Amino acid sequence: MTSTPLQTSHPADLTPPPSGASTPQSSSGIRRFLASAERRRVLYAFAAAIALFAIGEIVRPGFGSFAGIRAVLVVASFVGLVAAGQFFVILIGGIDLSVPWVLNAAAILVVTSSLGRNAWAVPAGLLTLAMGTMIGALNGVGVGVAVLGVPAVVMTLAMNGILEGLTGGLTCSSCAAYAPPVIQAAVHHPFFGIPAVLFFWAIVIAVVSVVLSLTTFGRATYAIGSNPRASFLAGLPVRAITIGLYALSGFFSALAGITLVGFGGQAALGMGDPYLFQSIAAVVIGGVYILGGRGHYIGVVAGSISLVALVSVLMAVDMPEYGRNIIYGVVILVLLLLYGREAPEA
Amino acid sequence: MTDAGHAALAGAPFIEGIGLSRAYGGVRALHNASLAVLPGEVHALVGENGAGKSTLIKVLGGRVRPDSGEIRLRGTSVSFSGPEAAHRVGVQTVFQELTLLPSLTVAENLFLSREPRSRLTHLIDRRAMGRRAEELLTGMGIDHIDPLAAVEDISLSERQLVEIVRAISHEPDILFLDEPTSSLVEREVVWLFEQIRRLRARGTAMVFTSHRWNEVRSIADRITVFRNGGDVGTFTDISEDDAVSLMTGRHVETLYPPVPALTASAPIALETHHLASAHLHDVSLQLHAGEILGVGGLAGHGHRALFFTLFGADRATSGTITVAGKQVSIRSPHDAMKRGVGIALVPEDRKTEGLLLRMSVRDNMTLAILRGRLSRMGFLRRAEEKRLSSDLSRQLRIKTAGPHIAVGSLSGGNQQKVLLGRWLLAEPRILLLYDVTRGVDVSTKAEIYALIHRLAAEGKAILFYSSDAEELAHLTHRVLVMREGRIAAALEGNAITAEAIVSAAVRDTSPASGRGTHAA
Repeated sequence: MTSTPLQTSHPADLTPPPSGASTPQSSSGIRRFLASAERRRVLYAFAAAIALFAIGEIVRPGFGSFAGIRAVLVVASFVGLVAAGQFFVILIGGIDLSVPWVLNAAAILVVTSSLGRNAWAVPAGLLTLAMGTMIGALNGVGVGVAVLGVPAVVMTLAMNGILEGLTGGLTCSSCAAYAPPVIQAAVHHPFFGIPAVLFFWAIVIAVVSVVLSLTTFGRATYAIGSNPRASFLAGLPVRAITIGLYALSGFFSALAGITLVGFGGQAALGMGDPYLFQSIAAVVIGGVYILGGRGHYIGVVAGSISLVALVSVLMAVDMPEYGRNIIYGVVILVLLLLYGREAPEA
Repeated sequence: MTDAGHAALAGAPFIEGIGLSRAYGGVRALHNASLAVLPGEVHALVGENGAGKSTLIKVLGGRVRPDSGEIRLRGTSVSFSGPEAAHRVGVQTVFQELTLLPSLTVAENLFLSREPRSRLTHLIDRRAMGRRAEELLTGMGIDHIDPLAAVEDISLSERQLVEIVRAISHEPDILFLDEPTSSLVEREVVWLFEQIRRLRARGTAMVFTSHRWNEVRSIADRITVFRNGGDVGTFTDISEDDAVSLMTGRHVETLYPPVPALTASAPIALETHHLASAHLHDVSLQLHAGEILGVGGLAGHGHRALFFTLFGADRATSGTITVAGKQVSIRSPHDAMKRGVGIALVPEDRKTEGLLLRMSVRDNMTLAILRGRLSRMGFLRRAEEKRLSSDLSRQLRIKTAGPHIAVGSLSGGNQQKVLLGRWLLAEPRILLLYDVTRGVDVSTKAEIYALIHRLAAEGKAILFYSSDAEELAHLTHRVLVMREGRIAAALEGNAITAEAIVSAAVRDTSPASGRGTHAA
């Protein structure tokens, strides 16, 4: 370590530190943990999930059983993967509306490029992930480069439309219609009675959390979400990180597309549509600050689980789809109203 | 208020706060504070940041309710449900945080909620509003602000002027001004004091706060000193030395320490040749290692462009920048911070351009070295970060409940120290300090001055802009005065005085050009 200006002695003629300046650290760790609004919200989201399982068990016995919970978690893992990408861009105050057709294009691409053969599954998967990442990066270029400066809503919505057109126009109806069996097995194969996709999700949770809390990339992401101008003036590569985050969103949408065809076996046009709303909902329910700068992936995980649990409960009471959509919308609005009300600045 | 009313009340306070207290969370911002304001007096509140001046003004202006204590208006106990309630009984306040709506025009802001209506349709008469806004501004001697310009397009000091004009236009009986001069330049301060004298002659009571003693001395009839949330005394005549010792418990002579000697052979750290950017024209300057080079002049004359261009935040359109003898290409702050260049910029507006208010003190301190020495293969060196930030807090005497506290909850002076500390950690060779003492109390100012001198003595090259000519005169080796984006004068040695800086800044400015001539 070179000698820093801080290690030189301080002139003695300055004000003495006033007595009692250093307040003792506040009491218990739990209290301090809960002092942060977004941590409280993570707990609320988990509590909501547990409550929903309890309600489900009441309206339809077996809902809260091991098999019932497992079924909910598997569906939640797809939402959670898409929401991971959505979460990254919302952290810098952005949004990715191209999720549905990136996911859909990925699902179709992995099926057609592998021709449903096991031998081609890996290259097809890599190709698909590269495609998703590249489309995401393009979104990032449009949003993050000052000369273009396209608002995120416009950029990603346009991208969604372009992909919808491309996918519809280029899909070959005579090509292979089924995902390679190895990809299907990678989703379904149980270990200790738990499908592989849940282990995979656990790994994603760990990696995303580590990236955000322990790397300089993660810290820079929160910084840019808090104040992009100040981050730029502190020398952070705001543009590159913006592009990187949108690329990650594209990557996770493509990943979700691959796991979804692995789960269902087949790709279909329109299969990505529910995931736009669900991914944003999971992020909001998980307590992520919608204008950027604050939030944790574990909250998004809780949000995904409680969202899917909510849908399942509604289905268990035979609520039709339009009713479920209304309830989604109301839940999000109420949460945004509640969470938006906390005091903005100290 | 009639003249008869004035006569009856002369001597009795217009407004009185008695034993007012107010706490935020666990922090006592105001503790058993009292203040009596007489009709037609100009009453100054002085004290350090966090001494309770602003909170008192918020309480008396109806913006914040006191936890305990009483407010009396013309002898009658009152309680304000909000600033509007205070407005109704003739109390107007210009708060420290600007309250104009940025996307509306100057005229719309001036007449907000009392817009002139068309007699026929009862809809807002925009033409009449524009005309009346123009009359209002020119009537007070301001002819350089376009009433139809959006507030977000005018400068910070112009916004402050509009804020003041709006408050005065309500013809208040009592006017509170919380640090009205901190974003104004000298000429605008002269203008403000003319308005204050005019209102005083009309019998308006005024209360204002300021960190600049010469302003307090020149305009205040009485001075109340605040310390630790309470008033410690009201005076009609008090010396700066006595006031400062009451405010801080120490004496004023240490405020400006002697400027460290400059070694004649010091190498040139930074040099520009014919540098130009959007608001900067043909600037050539030399900055030596160990030198404190002051930059002065009226606001809006290219200082900011100079600092931001040198730091790569504004794009240079022509000219060259040389660092330690080597020509460098600086196209972003990241370039400016590179090893071999080593430039740091502490910007003026710490809340929007400097700090991440919701993030912790520690996160804020280490932001500039995040990708440098705090990174090991992309991972944060957390132990190192902890050590560096706690060392820094100690060295700079930053008062905080802990490094995990949000920096937005710190007082202004401590926030500024966090920002300075961020750039010290980056170990720059060249420091660009842009009005770093604005809105900072005397104690913190003294600490910042000592820090700047220490850095210069260690061989750092420092470019120092200040809106306070007094400060420039006392702190620097040389001063460049800028006018219309160019260097208009260079002052050295005994020629550096506040008067010389101000006169160089305004010389040759034709009255027609409008800038800063509203005192006409």
